[in-house]
Amino acid sequence: MENFKINIKEIDKINSINKDDKNYRIKNLEFFNKKGFPTKKEEDWKFSDLREIFSKNFKKIDINYINPEENKFRLIKDFDHNYILLINGRLIRSDFKYEDKNKIKISNYKEDNFLKEKSNNPIICLNHALSNEGYNLVIEKNYKFEKVLVIYNLFSEELSDKILNNKNRIVVSENSELHTIEYTINRSKNKFFNNSYENVILSENAKFKNICIQAARSDGYFHKFLNGSIKSNASYSSFIFSSGLKFNKQDIKIDLEGKNSECDIKSALFLNNDDHQEVKTLVNHLVPNCKSFQKIKSVLDSNAKGVYQGKIFVKDIAQKTNAYQLSKALLISGNSEFDSKPELEIYADDVKCSHGSTSGNVDENSIHYLMTRGLTKKEAMQLLINGFLKEIVNDIKSETIKKFVESKLEFQIYGY
Amino acid sequence: MLVIKNLKASINNREILKGLNLKINPGEVHAIMGPNGSGKSTLANILSGKTGYEITGDLKYKGQDLKEIPVEMRAQKGIFLAFQYPIEIPGVNTNNFLKTSLNTIRKSRGEKEIDTLEFLKLVKEKAKELGIDEKILSRQLNVGFSGGEKKKNEILQMKILDPYLIILDETDSGLDIDALKTIADGVNSSRSKDKSFLVITHYQRLLDYIKPDFVHVLSSGKIIKSGSSELALELEKKGYKKIN
Repeated sequence: MENFKINIKEIDKINSINKDDKNYRIKNLEFFNKKGFPTKKEEDWKFSDLREIFSKNFKKIDINYINPEENKFRLIKDFDHNYILLINGRLIRSDFKYEDKNKIKISNYKEDNFLKEKSNNPIICLNHALSNEGYNLVIEKNYKFEKVLVIYNLFSEELSDKILNNKNRIVVSENSELHTIEYTINRSKNKFFNNSYENVILSENAKFKNICIQAARSDGYFHKFLNGSIKSNASYSSFIFSSGLKFNKQDIKIDLEGKNSECDIKSALFLNNDDHQEVKTLVNHLVPNCKSFQKIKSVLDSNAKGVYQGKIFVKDIAQKTNAYQLSKALLISGNSEFDSKPELEIYADDVKCSHGSTSGNVDENSIHYLMTRGLTKKEAMQLLINGFLKEIVNDIKSETIKKFVESKLEFQIYGY
Repeated sequence: MLVIKNLKASINNREILKGLNLKINPGEVHAIMGPNGSGKSTLANILSGKTGYEITGDLKYKGQDLKEIPVEMRAQKGIFLAFQYPIEIPGVNTNNFLKTSLNTIRKSRGEKEIDTLEFLKLVKEKAKELGIDEKILSRQLNVGFSGGEKKKNEILQMKILDPYLIILDETDSGLDIDALKTIADGVNSSRSKDKSFLVITHYQRLLDYIKPDFVHVLSSGKIIKSGSSELALELEKKGYKKIN
């Protein structure tokens, strides 16, 4: 593992940091160097041995940012939208032409925007130590976005054997509402690892909805830690559609800190080839009268591996909690694998919590029925897969965005 | 249209059809009646191409060896099975499924694909004939359909796909008299010189509405008696046991 240790001197290369920041970064880097990439011995990484995955696919760690040549880049034409363009994690430009610009603040990553949190997760520590790119987006009070904001997350051709550490922060202030689509476009044909950290803060009565989706299949390795803090009467909603990544772990932690706050996480994944994707959630019910809802649907083909680790924590004072999680997996190939670990940790006595997890094969009778109507086995399978995942897509309220997501998902399903 | 000679079929080493013979000419309607477990549904399954059976004997459709033709090709060549228990398929929109199915079959016949407008017009017309509420066609395939709606949906598919050999597997089971009449009307209006029907049923009741040219009694995997539609009435009076 010697190759994967990072010289402390690397931190000196980061521009304009004060002494505090530097010490914080050094501590985190020392922790990472001591622990290395997490292995399956650690409970949180039980089903995704990152050290094994990393050492199999990467020879060394190169953390230097690549300055991309400005890429030719096409906006989505299906619907009007504002946008932010990130290249290799760096904020390049933004356009809020449909909005009141006085209500929106967007800036490059800055140290002082982030709390200096302590983490026991080496991969998050690596981010704390080295992250130097990203954006900080603040929506002021009492403002509802007119149009959706698309975050183009573009990775350039030149990337190879890189680890990109970036940090983003989204703040939606009181009584404001923001909808985003995080749209990943990967131009690199080589391996790289994107390790990102996102802080989402929703003030009282704020609404934030996010959709994660990819432009096309990609060979990137992704880890994202999302740290969400939800105040009273605020609601957070996330749809995860990203699929076809060599490795992708979305580690989502949501703190329901204010009364009547809500959290909604939905995912529809189609995994193929050697894809490995994990959704890990921790929803903390910290005060009374909050709701959380999670529904994860996965289809696994070839040698793909899917993981869902979902935990609901209910603090003793969090009475009248309503929490629900469900995971359903459809295994098409005998070589595919799905691991599910639902967990409830409840200290309050007046709560409604439930969880369910199923995985199974495609129903042969359904296939036969469709084939007696002239469809080939492949067409019948595709129709069933699409039907299985569509339940999640159907929950998207905007018709134009639903259509857009549907076409991306269908391309993934029918394109193989 | 269909020639079956000495058909034997077993599943899990249990022989269900034990030498069945049947010949159906174009334009004819044949009814197969028989008690539970006589092999009626097995025959329907085998004609539709369901796997899992060991089959010997001759099975010819329009002169071609049916055993060599995979399930979807049978449908494309004009064989249609109306299921006894239509399968519920969550997430699949009924209209989209129907359109996909129709276009697959049209393509295989070398015809042009139908566009959405034309298709909707066709569905609307056929659904109306069968008294199907159009709303259910924008719902998921068979999901939450009543027993009658499911069976009507099978007949709707038959009308839209326009097959040559139609097998109705206990289409009358679970239907009230009104639905039964509607379905029978749907079938009768499709009868023509180049279409043949194989109606599988327990009861004579359906045959009051769909008049068969021939009635066969299936018992223990063999056709033990054949006759005109009078035979169905005789069966109704005497029961299956006395026919032997």
